[in-house]
Amino acid sequence: MTPAERLIDEIMGAARMPSGRRRREVQRELLAHVEDFVSSWRQRGRSEEDIERLLLERFGDPRQVAEQFACVYRRERAVLHFGWFLISTVVVSLIISAAALSMQAGVMLGFGAPVLALLGSRHAITEALDIAATVATYVGLVSLGRFFGYPLAVLAVVTAGLFALFAATGLPTQFILFGFLNGTLLRGIQVAVRHRMLQFGAALGCLGALGIVFFHPSSSALVVTAASWLMMGTAYHLMTHVASRVDRVLAARL
Amino acid sequence: MEIDRELLKGSISLLLLNLLSRGEMYGYEILQAATVRSANAFEFKEGTLYPALHQLEKRALVKSQWRTGDNGRERKYYSLTGKGRKAAEKYERQWQYLTGAVNAVLGSK
Repeated sequence: MTPAERLIDEIMGAARMPSGRRRREVQRELLAHVEDFVSSWRQRGRSEEDIERLLLERFGDPRQVAEQFACVYRRERAVLHFGWFLISTVVVSLIISAAALSMQAGVMLGFGAPVLALLGSRHAITEALDIAATVATYVGLVSLGRFFGYPLAVLAVVTAGLFALFAATGLPTQFILFGFLNGTLLRGIQVAVRHRMLQFGAALGCLGALGIVFFHPSSSALVVTAASWLMMGTAYHLMTHVASRVDRVLAARL
Repeated sequence: MEIDRELLKGSISLLLLNLLSRGEMYGYEILQAATVRSANAFEFKEGTLYPALHQLEKRALVKSQWRTGDNGRERKYYSLTGKGRKAAEKYERQWQYLTGAVNAVLGSK
């Protein structure tokens, strides 16, 4: 790779172009410019070292150039990322809702209860909303983290705030808040705990503890509730993997 | 003469629109035209030119298209849109008015 190509790579790497197509086009345009520049100075009899030095001088600081490009495309980038966030949320929510409800249906079958009572009930809608809120929060935090970066302390403060709101509100707002809280907890666990199995265990433990603290299940319902949490914990853990895959696919396509 | 970046900043759109009002050009041609027409007074830096061109394109003042030029190379040619032509005339009038006023102040010392 020549110094000029490295310079363009550096500009493109920091320019935060909104899409791969746009990035490739700007790169192509800058490379075409380099080609013209080199050929024009060669005709004037300058040495290759001279031409390289001149070119680097003329482009200036690559970070500044990248910043100017980033500034031009900031609106397009914001729209694209919001669209990206929405698509990720909808796709992952649908996958996880289907997975969680299927698992719960399986548990109900195991207990000899009619499955249609689960799928057609208000419970299914609440569950789907809860999952959508969890996924939206999780995907949103991943996106925000990618652009701004945030320390674990920020997640801890957000979680504490949500806990307080959750405790202060009643049904049905509580179910949506439960989703926001789940999403924040899952992201927090992922940032704080590195080991995969420990992440899974922490997710199950936190969800179970949340359920016991806030929903006070009766002793007779405890087994069913615990089974349900186990299913949800597994589904949410699966969600963090599905979300990162959807994220990678979108990043490659856009 | 090295012109202060901040002074140049406000006039880049005017210069680019004016240069493109003479016909379509690609980036390297624009740089050369600016240097020649200003008798080497202006030397746009590449890092300033391309973001400025893209900004004008986003504002729909210029449009671009890749095509093979006379030298047989594929280049991205920029040309003015109808909106860009009107903007070029408007900016020029504003610039004449502004420079007249600035000169009047400078000459009044």
